[in-house]
Amino acid sequence: MQPVREEESSSIQNDPGNCSIPSGDSSVWADVSPLLSAACTDLQEGELIHGDNFNLFAAMSALEIMDPKMDSGMVSAFYSIDEAIESGFAPVPISSDKTVNVESIIDIMDHLLVCEATWHMGHSLAQTVFSCIYVLRPERTSSQALLHSYCRVIRATCRAVVSVVSDARTNEEEDLLTMTYGLPFNGDEDAKGLLLLNAVEETICRQLRACKATSAKRRLLEELEPLQTNPHLEEGFCKALLCRIRFRKHFLHALNCMRRPQGRGHELARKHIASCISELQSLLESAEFLRSNTVNNGETEIEERTTASGRQPIGFDSTLNKRLSAPTPPRAIKLLSWKKAIDYFVKLLHNLDQICAFSLEPDLDFVLQFVIQFHKSRPDLVSRAHLQLLLVQDGKLYGRDTFLTICARLLAIDVSKNHGLHLNEYILQLNQLMINLLKILCANTPWQRRKLGKILNDWSIFNVQMGINVGQLMQQDTSRSQKNGDRSLFILNHVYGWIEEQIHWVALRFLVLGFELDLYSPSEYCMVYWYMYIILWKLHEKARLRVLIVVHSEERKAKRNKEYSRDMAREDRISLWVLLIQCQTSLTQGLTLMIAALRNEGMCLKSQGPFNTENEKFTQHFELLQKASLPEYDAYESFSKSTAHASLDFLPAYECFRDAQKMAKDIKVGYANDPDKLAEVRGIEQVAEHNVIAVNLLCQDRSLKVSLEFTHHPYFATAIVRRS
Amino acid sequence: MEQDAERSTSTTATVASTSEVSDLDPIARVRKLLFRQMLVGIKDGRFFLGNFHCIDKQGNIILQDTVEYRSIRRSSPSPTEQRCLGMILIPSSCRTSCHVDCSIEEQLSLVQLKE
Repeated sequence: MQPVREEESSSIQNDPGNCSIPSGDSSVWADVSPLLSAACTDLQEGELIHGDNFNLFAAMSALEIMDPKMDSGMVSAFYSIDEAIESGFAPVPISSDKTVNVESIIDIMDHLLVCEATWHMGHSLAQTVFSCIYVLRPERTSSQALLHSYCRVIRATCRAVVSVVSDARTNEEEDLLTMTYGLPFNGDEDAKGLLLLNAVEETICRQLRACKATSAKRRLLEELEPLQTNPHLEEGFCKALLCRIRFRKHFLHALNCMRRPQGRGHELARKHIASCISELQSLLESAEFLRSNTVNNGETEIEERTTASGRQPIGFDSTLNKRLSAPTPPRAIKLLSWKKAIDYFVKLLHNLDQICAFSLEPDLDFVLQFVIQFHKSRPDLVSRAHLQLLLVQDGKLYGRDTFLTICARLLAIDVSKNHGLHLNEYILQLNQLMINLLKILCANTPWQRRKLGKILNDWSIFNVQMGINVGQLMQQDTSRSQKNGDRSLFILNHVYGWIEEQIHWVALRFLVLGFELDLYSPSEYCMVYWYMYIILWKLHEKARLRVLIVVHSEERKAKRNKEYSRDMAREDRISLWVLLIQCQTSLTQGLTLMIAALRNEGMCLKSQGPFNTENEKFTQHFELLQKASLPEYDAYESFSKSTAHASLDFLPAYECFRDAQKMAKDIKVGYANDPDKLAEVRGIEQVAEHNVIAVNLLCQDRSLKVSLEFTHHPYFATAIVRRS
Repeated sequence: MEQDAERSTSTTATVASTSEVSDLDPIARVRKLLFRQMLVGIKDGRFFLGNFHCIDKQGNIILQDTVEYRSIRRSSPSPTEQRCLGMILIPSSCRTSCHVDCSIEEQLSLVQLKE
């Protein structure tokens, strides 16, 4: 987009005969329109004039000029930003009437908030925030401190968000959030915005005080010019502006605090976030006042308004930058409403607060459970990017703990004496695998599932290699290394055991995410629960082994050193977690058997469709798991054998649901202080309880109708029995 | 293919060939214009400069390796911006002008032939 050189660009006119676009040397532009139209008349219907290299297929992909969905260069209202400004589209000041001026500025602020939220949802910056000429050209408004500082701070905020998201790279290809090509992002000037905004806030505070003051005091404040000319509206306007300004200020501060390394700014960030949320509340409250000043023509519905007052803001044209939104086609975007934008920000702030409140314990179990809990509220890209940057910094957990120490902590081993170990090739690889895993867990749900399926293979190959190598080393010399006090091999062996557990954790997460994404049809629940059962069973076995190792080594340490205090809370936490897995194992086993029995008795859910056989569906769902040898045997064969003879007559005898119910009761006691976990366990308990009843009813009366529903738990089904 | 294109350009550009060209029917003459630089103006004031690739009965033109020229202001003369677009299809409905790069002699012959 460089301007054509001066002599070339002197005149492009509608008469291209003397057009400035250069023709070749010693040649001219000859008008061929008459010739073309003569040729067109002579052409047959469907005939083309083309060269030998013409390819109809390639020609189909030509960009169609003047097509609103393809031609981003179509000239709409203005040829350029400069022309828009010259034509008075975005005047400075907006109005000579000070009251109208303030009103308009508030509209602009509201609309910018809407633009910002729409941008966070994945649209391009060029079509949202930077559709505002005041934001595009802040230097024009330098005489208008209020508008100027606000626009500067908006730009600084956009920069902060772009930097978080592009550093974390949690965004998908379709997310346009980080695209800023061709937009003016002047960092130095924008950084001063906060100072200016503070000064503006100060002034408005004084104006607010002045208008509230009694007449006696007013004299003292007389030299202070009011915000606008109508004294009845002064207080309302001051308040409306203050909450908007303060929200901006605190939001930018919060984002900046969260970027401090190792989560050091989190405490301060939480204070700013709390302020933001309360300012948003004031913003909503100011809407009534602002709406009362507008002549309501009743045209715009509340649901579609992008400003509190319901007026159209001045100075916005989303087509101005349309050409900058490439490489996407020039589509019109639908902005959120003002109310929805505020809802979005409230949710974002709550998610950020969740991250800031996280205690940064160097405990991987804890981290993984937190991330899963965090995902339950379906956090948006910006908060996920923040979480990821917190978890992985400089290749370390929280930028603080190496993954070797984290793993060692999981197994309660001390690695401080084994200095060489962190350079061990397996530990280095493990480091990379862990970083990848944590990053993937911060991605959105569909992407997360896809990537988890893929890394399973990496993990299992790594596991096999490490197993062979460590096994060989163990055989060669166990005695010598023990004597030197070098416990590297011992540690590696334990780490190897833990990796197997971790693989099963990833596999379980992969299966569970399928429920969240609605990937399974009711006829496939049987095989999904069977697979979950297999994975959970193995996970339980590995996790229990780890608990034994931990308890054993803690006991030893305690014996050796009398003053050593065992971390009982942590031991309890792992044991509880293991019990929860056991409980889920029973539940999935019960579900598998129940659904298989129902299927065998022909009471519901035949998994035969006209297209795929059951075996094919099985492969489609679990191919990635089988590639990673989870399990090592032929899973489909095992599945069909184990479910072929399930029958309602034997079902009550298995008592899987009863076991799950009992365990859930015990676990609930342990999680008494953790409301999130408690809710989860309660859900499991209810599923088990209802299924016990359903199985009993079904055994008595085979004519009942059964359906599976997720009323008590997001991925454990409850059988609902009805009389037909 | 490119060589062919160049050859056709060079032959049509020579004075000798002009009389030959003038005898041909319009379709054959348009065929001679293929692969040459064409400048198309459209309704909203933009110009497209690219290699003439194809035209159909309705007068829709396909250009290859196109550059878009666009004025910064509505009032002319004004500086322009340009960007590359690749292959584009210009519907006849929005075309306002169409020019081909040629030598002065050839231009004269084209003008003559119009009448």
